[in-house]
Amino acid sequence: VRAALVAALVAPLVLAVATVAHAEDDKPEIQRMRFVESGDELTVSTLPPGGIGKLFDTTAYEALNTGIPSSVVIRVQITPRDADTPVAEQLIQRSVVYDVWDEIYTLRIDQPGGRKTIKVKFRAEALKWLTSIEDLPVARLAVLPVDQVFVLKMVVELNPVSKETLAEVRRWLSQGNGGGLDRGGAFFGSFVSVFYNPKIADADRVLRIRSQPFYRAPP
Amino acid sequence: MRRWLMFALVAVTATRPAYADEPPALPAAGPPDPGAPTEPLPDTGPVMGPDDGPLGEPAPAQPGDGEPPLHEDNEFGPVIQIEEIDITGDTATQPEIIRRALPISVGDVLHASDKRLRDARFKVLALGFFRDVTLAVRKGSQRGQVIVDVHVVERGTLVLNRLWFGTTALSPWWLGLDVGERNLLGLGIAVGGGFIYAKQDGDVPGGRDQYAAELRVSDATVRGTPWGVSGAATLVHGSEPYRVAGPSDDNNPTSQRAFPYSRAGVRFGATYDVSALTRLSMGVRAEAIETTLPVAPTRTLPDGRVVAVDLHLDPGTSRVVTASFAFDRDTRPDPILPHAGGHLLISAELGGALLGGSYDFATIFGRYEHYWPLGSDRHAIAVKLAGGVVVGNAPRFDRIHIADVDRMLTPRALGLVLSTSAPLAILGTRADKPTYGDLGGSATVEYAFQLFRGSGKRRVYGGDVFFGAGLWGLAEQADLHARDTGVTAALPLDLYLDAGLRLDTDIGTFELTIANALGRLR
Repeated sequence: VRAALVAALVAPLVLAVATVAHAEDDKPEIQRMRFVESGDELTVSTLPPGGIGKLFDTTAYEALNTGIPSSVVIRVQITPRDADTPVAEQLIQRSVVYDVWDEIYTLRIDQPGGRKTIKVKFRAEALKWLTSIEDLPVARLAVLPVDQVFVLKMVVELNPVSKETLAEVRRWLSQGNGGGLDRGGAFFGSFVSVFYNPKIADADRVLRIRSQPFYRAPP
Repeated sequence: MRRWLMFALVAVTATRPAYADEPPALPAAGPPDPGAPTEPLPDTGPVMGPDDGPLGEPAPAQPGDGEPPLHEDNEFGPVIQIEEIDITGDTATQPEIIRRALPISVGDVLHASDKRLRDARFKVLALGFFRDVTLAVRKGSQRGQVIVDVHVVERGTLVLNRLWFGTTALSPWWLGLDVGERNLLGLGIAVGGGFIYAKQDGDVPGGRDQYAAELRVSDATVRGTPWGVSGAATLVHGSEPYRVAGPSDDNNPTSQRAFPYSRAGVRFGATYDVSALTRLSMGVRAEAIETTLPVAPTRTLPDGRVVAVDLHLDPGTSRVVTASFAFDRDTRPDPILPHAGGHLLISAELGGALLGGSYDFATIFGRYEHYWPLGSDRHAIAVKLAGGVVVGNAPRFDRIHIADVDRMLTPRALGLVLSTSAPLAILGTRADKPTYGDLGGSATVEYAFQLFRGSGKRRVYGGDVFFGAGLWGLAEQADLHARDTGVTAALPLDLYLDAGLRLDTDIGTFELTIANALGRLR
């Protein structure tokens, strides 16, 4: 009876916390994009005021000339409008590092077409190369049946962190208390603790974008 | 020539297209597989100084003989040599602690995009002493040489590890806490301690108020090496209940007795980090036990038979001296709200007269859990296995307590037994399960659903709802050799069920579960 009473008291608290925090949940942003057939491929371009430029806030933009590399990873999927199974996927990685001696930005672009290394003088140019989505091939036309409706889904990450690194950064959380009496807790139990708990995000910033639905018109 | 607009743009609705609320089921975050992009791409336009060939940047100062070789890791950008590492913001932490954690050092020659530069921030964050770490590179004294600025933002490193409180029939109330400081005087040394006091209501003959204390100190990386050391001292003033009559679910105090004991011990250990995620540890323990045992304790069974009770302790003063070894590998990217990765923990301990102890015994404990994301990262399924075996004449406190394996019971706190409640009999198996056993464990399956994830702006990083079910078991090996009932009635197994919420917040981690509530009230 006491346990049920406690549960009854705790449940509303839990739901309240969950409801408040739920507002932070990531929802994809809908953007209007331009799709074009180019040869046997579909290309995509973002349209103003859309795009992925908002990936960089002031801090991230300033960080471009710290001499520490920054990278943007773009994962693109095309799925039928009402399904999550992709018919095409692309992975694009763009990195930049500032040469503090020559004061230029060296970019490495890994995307369809292979690797390309570019040098630019100005930070704004570097930003443009990092965030431009212009005539980007995203799928072969053969995988996009005519008249079927699709959407393009894009997850863009600034400086993503590998799962291994995340595990390493937070490992101290699970290292126990240095071997005390509570052996049972270490092996069988769980832990609840209170401390200042900064958390490293999977990436400095993440954008989740969805295009408007589109379809191939019959020839 | 490109053809335009062979794709019609179809706005299904003017304001809100018919899209699912689920976020896209894209691959998990993390650096991409470099082999993934394969499709051709037209020229993207004019560039300044295309340079697809080898690096053509001015050469930096050449490293001399004996310098570390250039770290070739598919990197790009200018080659630089680290002339100096300048650390700022470390008001409490010794800069040497930070310097040792960095994967780079003065004199290193590397590309500006080197993975070590990218990882440096996380290596420092992994110390657990800082809220944030930023790095920047600036010109050094000569062309090609650079100074790496490391700016840290320190944070509070005081940790409340445990909070013990509750009420049971055996102990009307108990209260205690375990706190720690993870970065003593900025030296990277962790200290901590716990204390608990448990009131005894006096109804159980022989019982007394209990208290226990523990002090710990550890250095996870001695002078930046993979080696760590730890030490702990413990003191326990307790009383152990045991049943003298009635069935195991009978909580009548007159059916139980208790005997007093005290324990005082020290532990010393060493750890070695095989990798960032794998650790070996070894240790020694010496403990003195002082107890006044009842003479020839017996228990009257419900059918009237009288059997001897083995309290698994030597009368008077005895010693426990052991040596132990453990292996720990934790690959979970998020140990608080895990949806991927696994954690393996194996420990073996050997005690005996050879080491100067009074008890010849060995224990092996293991725990393995693995999480698999289901579809998107919002759902995960986990398998959790935990178990142990005790061989030989192990002292009572080193045996497996029933609350170790059945999380729906009140767990021991700093070694104190706080409840004598019997486990919930759900499966109708053996009713009279032992309180202490030498073979025990649990196997559970857990489903976790991502309730929400936040950035921490509202002090909450995320929450998961979970449901777990499985089996737990505890037996004394002698019980397994002979039985006088049917197989089902003899099985020392029962069902474990739990559900609740896990919260990861910027003030700590919390679990609100049914089992947790039961463990404080029964």
